[in-house]
Amino acid sequence: MKRRQLLVAAIGLAAASPLALAQSFAGKTVTIIVGYKPGGGYDATARLLARHLPKHIPGGPTVIVQNMPGANSVIAANHMYNVAKADGLTIGTFNRNLPIAQLTRVEGVKFDMNKFAWIGSAANESTILAIRSDLPYMTFEELRHAKEPVVIGSTGPGANTHDFPLLLKDLVGLNFKIVSGYSSSADIMLAVERKEVDGRAGSYTSLRPFIDRKLVRPIVRARSTEPGIDQLPVDENFAPTPRAKAIMALRSTPELIARPYVMPPGTPAEIVKAMRDAFARAIQDPQLIAEGKKSKMELEFTSGEQAQKVLHDVFSQPKDIVEEFSKYIKFGE
Amino acid sequence: MLDALWEGLLLILQWKPFAFMLVGVLVGFWVGLLPGIGGATTLALMLPFIYTMQPVEAFAFLLGMHSVVATTGDITSILFGVPGEATTAAIILDGHAMAKRGEAGRALGAALTASLIGALIGAAALALAVPIVRPLVLTFGSPELFMLAIVGLAFIASLSAQGARGMVRGFLAGGLGLLLAMVGQDPQAGVGRFTLDTLYLWQGLDLVPVLVGLFAIPEIIDLAVRGTSIAGDVPTGHIRRGALEGVKDVFRHPFLTVRCALIGTFIGITPGLGGAVAQWMAYGHATQSARNAEERKGFGAGDVRGVIGPGAACNSKEGGALIPTIAFGVPGSTSMAILLGGFFLLGLVPGPDMLTKHLSLTFSLVWTIVLANLITVAVCVLLLNHLAGLTNVAGHRLIPAILVLVFIGSFTSNSNYADLVVTLVFGAVGYLMVLAGWPRAPLVLGLVLGKIAENYLYISVARYGAGWLTRPVVLVLLAIAVAVVCYPVIQAWRGRHRAKHA
Amino acid sequence: MHNRASLLLAVAIAALSAWAIFSALAWPWKAKLFPLVISIPLLCLALAEVLWVLLGATSGARAADFRLSEEHPPEVVRRRTLIAVAWIAGFFVLVLLLGFLVAVPLFVLAYLKLQGKEGWLFAIAFTALLWAAFYGLFDELLHLPFPSGWLLEWLGLA
Repeated sequence: MKRRQLLVAAIGLAAASPLALAQSFAGKTVTIIVGYKPGGGYDATARLLARHLPKHIPGGPTVIVQNMPGANSVIAANHMYNVAKADGLTIGTFNRNLPIAQLTRVEGVKFDMNKFAWIGSAANESTILAIRSDLPYMTFEELRHAKEPVVIGSTGPGANTHDFPLLLKDLVGLNFKIVSGYSSSADIMLAVERKEVDGRAGSYTSLRPFIDRKLVRPIVRARSTEPGIDQLPVDENFAPTPRAKAIMALRSTPELIARPYVMPPGTPAEIVKAMRDAFARAIQDPQLIAEGKKSKMELEFTSGEQAQKVLHDVFSQPKDIVEEFSKYIKFGE
Repeated sequence: MLDALWEGLLLILQWKPFAFMLVGVLVGFWVGLLPGIGGATTLALMLPFIYTMQPVEAFAFLLGMHSVVATTGDITSILFGVPGEATTAAIILDGHAMAKRGEAGRALGAALTASLIGALIGAAALALAVPIVRPLVLTFGSPELFMLAIVGLAFIASLSAQGARGMVRGFLAGGLGLLLAMVGQDPQAGVGRFTLDTLYLWQGLDLVPVLVGLFAIPEIIDLAVRGTSIAGDVPTGHIRRGALEGVKDVFRHPFLTVRCALIGTFIGITPGLGGAVAQWMAYGHATQSARNAEERKGFGAGDVRGVIGPGAACNSKEGGALIPTIAFGVPGSTSMAILLGGFFLLGLVPGPDMLTKHLSLTFSLVWTIVLANLITVAVCVLLLNHLAGLTNVAGHRLIPAILVLVFIGSFTSNSNYADLVVTLVFGAVGYLMVLAGWPRAPLVLGLVLGKIAENYLYISVARYGAGWLTRPVVLVLLAIAVAVVCYPVIQAWRGRHRAKHA
Repeated sequence: MHNRASLLLAVAIAALSAWAIFSALAWPWKAKLFPLVISIPLLCLALAEVLWVLLGATSGARAADFRLSEEHPPEVVRRRTLIAVAWIAGFFVLVLLLGFLVAVPLFVLAYLKLQGKEGWLFAIAFTALLWAAFYGLFDELLHLPFPSGWLLEWLGLA
C-alpha cells in the first residue's frame, strides 16, 4: 500500500515538474548579462538568442540583454558568481578565456568556473593564422623556413591575434616579428593591405571575408576546426616537446566553449536542465539559423556537461605546465 | 560615375527608404540630445531591426539616425553645458558661454548651420573620394598616424593662454591627460598600469564619465551660484531673434567653416584616431583665427567662431569616416564598426565592390547623409525658439533635471558606480581648473590621443626601425605640428611688436 | 582664490607624477617608456608652476575656457558653491544607498522644494514627469541595469 502511494506520488511529481517550471517562468523576465559593450561578438550572439529563446523556455518569459562591461568581462563574471540570484532569471555570458584567467590566478578574479551552473556554449570558434596572398609562402612548411621575418600584427596580449602567433614563434620557432598595439583586428587588416604587416591570426569567422576576397590565405589552425579549414595543419602537431604541445592545447581549449553561458552557482537542477534544453532547441530553430546566417553567425550548442568536461581539461593541467604557460600568455582581451 | 550619383538619389527618394530615414532621424534626434545614450550604443541596439529590410532602406534608417546625433548633441552642449555626446564637448566652451549671455539662439543658429555645411562637405568628400580613396587611405600607415596624433597634441599650444606661464599650464593639463590615458592594461607587455588594483580601471578611463564630470559639473555649480536662469537676465525675445544672426555668422566666416569641415573630414578618413579628436582640433584651429591677443581672450567667453569650428568638424567627420568603412571594411569609429555589422547583415561586403558594383548604393548613403541633415536642421530651426527658451527657465528647476541626466549619462558607460565616482572626481578637477584659469581642452586632447600615440609609436618602431622618421608624409606632418605649436608664439610676439610700434 | 586653486592643482599633479614615476620603475621597459617620458617632464612643469605661485608672480592671461561668473560677492559665492556641492554629493549618496529608481524622484523633489522653494503642485508634477521619462526610456526601453542600492539590499527590500 505504502509503496504504491509512493509510486503515485513520484509519478505525480514527475508529471507536475514541467508545469511547475512553466509557472516559475511565466510572466517573468530572464536577463542575459553580457560582459562586453553592445556591438561586439558576445553581445550580438546574446541578442540573437534573446530574440528566439522565449518560444523555447517553458512559460514563455521575456528575455532581455543587459551589458556589464569592464575588465574583459571579469566584472560580469564576478557579478554572476557573487551577486546574481540563483533563481533561473539571470544568465551570464563572458570572455571564453576566463577559465584561463582563473587558472593563472589573475588578480581580481572572484569566481570559480567549475561552480557555475553551466548551460553550455552557443558557438565554437576556430583560430587560424592568415598571411597576405602575395607572399611566397604557400604552406606551413614553407613559412617555417622563411628567411625574412614575417611581420604579424596583433592587438595586444590576451587576444588570439597575439597569443596564437606568439606560441608559434616561441615554441615552434617560426621567424615571426609580432607588432602589437593595433586598436582592432580591422585595423590590422588595413595594415596588411598597406603591406605594413604580413598577416594576422584570428577567428576564422572574422577572417573569412578577407580570405574570400583573396587578400590573405590561411596557413595553419588551432585544434578547433570547421568546414573550410579542415585541411589546414594544426599548430600543436608541430610542437617540439610534449610540454610545448600541452601549452598550445591549453591556449586553444577555451575555443570549444567559445560563447559560454552560465547561471549562478546553486541554481536548482531542473532549471538548469530546462535552460539547456531551451538553448539547444533555440539554436536549432530555423528562424534563428536564418537570422544568424545573415550576420554570419553560426551557432552550435555544446551542452553544459560537455563544457564542464572541457573545464576539467583546463584545470587538471599540472602546475609546471601552468607556470610555463603563464610566462607566454597573459590574460587580456 | 555621374549616373550612379543620380541613381543613388533616386534610390533614397522612394517612399519606403525615405520613411525609414525619417524614423531614423527621429530616433537620432533624441539620442543626440540626451547624454548617456551614445550614438554607437543605439546603433547596436537598432541593428536587429534591419534584418528584414532591403539594403537601401536599412542604411537609410541607420545612417539617418547616425547623421543626426552629432547635430542634436550640439544642442545639449550649447544650452546646458552638458556634452550630449562625447563628440560634442568642445562646443560647450563657447556655445554655452554664449547661452549664458543670452545668445543661445545665435549659438544654436550658428551650430546648426555649421553642422549642415560640415555634413555637406563630408558627404561631398565621400562622393569625390570614391576614385582616390584606396591609395589615400593606404598612404597613411602607423608612422603617419603617430605623427597625426602629435599634430593633434600640438594644438594644446593653441588652446593655452598666451605667454610662457599660459603654455606651462596648457601643457600641464595636456600632460595630465596623457598620463591618464596610460591607465589600463598596456598592449605591449600586458602590464596593468595605474589601475590602483581595481578591475574598473583595467581597461582604462572611459571618456564619457570624464567629459561629463569635467564640463557639466562646474557649469551646474556655477548655475546654482548665479541663482538665475542660464541666460541670466536677458529678455526672452532677444534670445530667440538671435538665430538668424547665428546663420549669418557662419557666412561671415566661410573659410574658417570650410577649413574646419575639412579637418573633420580628414580625421574621419584616417581610421584609428577616433571620433572625439576632430572637434578639439577644429576648436584649436578656430582659436588661431583670432587676429590679436584681445580676440584670443574672447574665446571661451562666447566667440561664435568657437561654435562654428567644432560644429562643422563634428558632422563632416561622419562623412569622412564612411570612406574607410565602405572601401576597406575598416571602421573609422565605433559607430562605423557597428554600421559595418549592418553591411554584413545585409550580405554586402565592404571593399572594392562597394565602389564598383554597388556604386549607386554607396551614393545613396551619401544622399542619406545630406537629406537627413537637411531635415534635422529644418526641424531644429522650427523648434529653435522653444529650445532657446529653455535658457530662460529658472536655474533651480533645470538643475535637478540636468544633474539626473548627468548621473545617468555617466553611469550608462559601464553600468558601474565607479563611473559616478569618476564623474565626481573630474567634476572637482574641472571646477578647480576653471577657478585657476587652466584650460581644460588640452586635458581632453591628451586623454584621447595618449594611447593612440603610444601604440602607433611602438608599431612604427617595431616595424620600420628608425626608418619611419624619413617617410615623406611623416616629415610633412612633423612640419605641420611644429607650425601649429609656433603659431601662437609668433602671434603673441607680433602682437607685442605691433603694440610697441603703435 | 585663483592662485590657490592653481597651487592646489599643481601640487596635486606633482604628487601624481611622482607616484607615476615611482610605480612605473618596476615595469618592463616597453610598459614604462611612455609613462616615464610623460611624467618626468610633467613633474618638472608642475614644480615650476608651484614655484611661480609661491613666488607671487602675476597669474598671466586666462586660457580659452569659461570663467566662473563674478556677479556676486565672494562670501555669497562660497556659500552657494558649498551648498551646490553638498547637493551633488548628496545625490550620489542617495543613488548608492537607494538605487537610481528611488533616488531620482527623491532628489528631484527634495531639490525643488528645499532649494527651489517651489510649490507642492509643481514639485510633484515635475518630479513625476521626470521620473516617468527616466523610467520609461532607460529602464523599459533600453533595459539598462540599475542596481537597487546598498541600503535597500541590506534591508532585504531589493
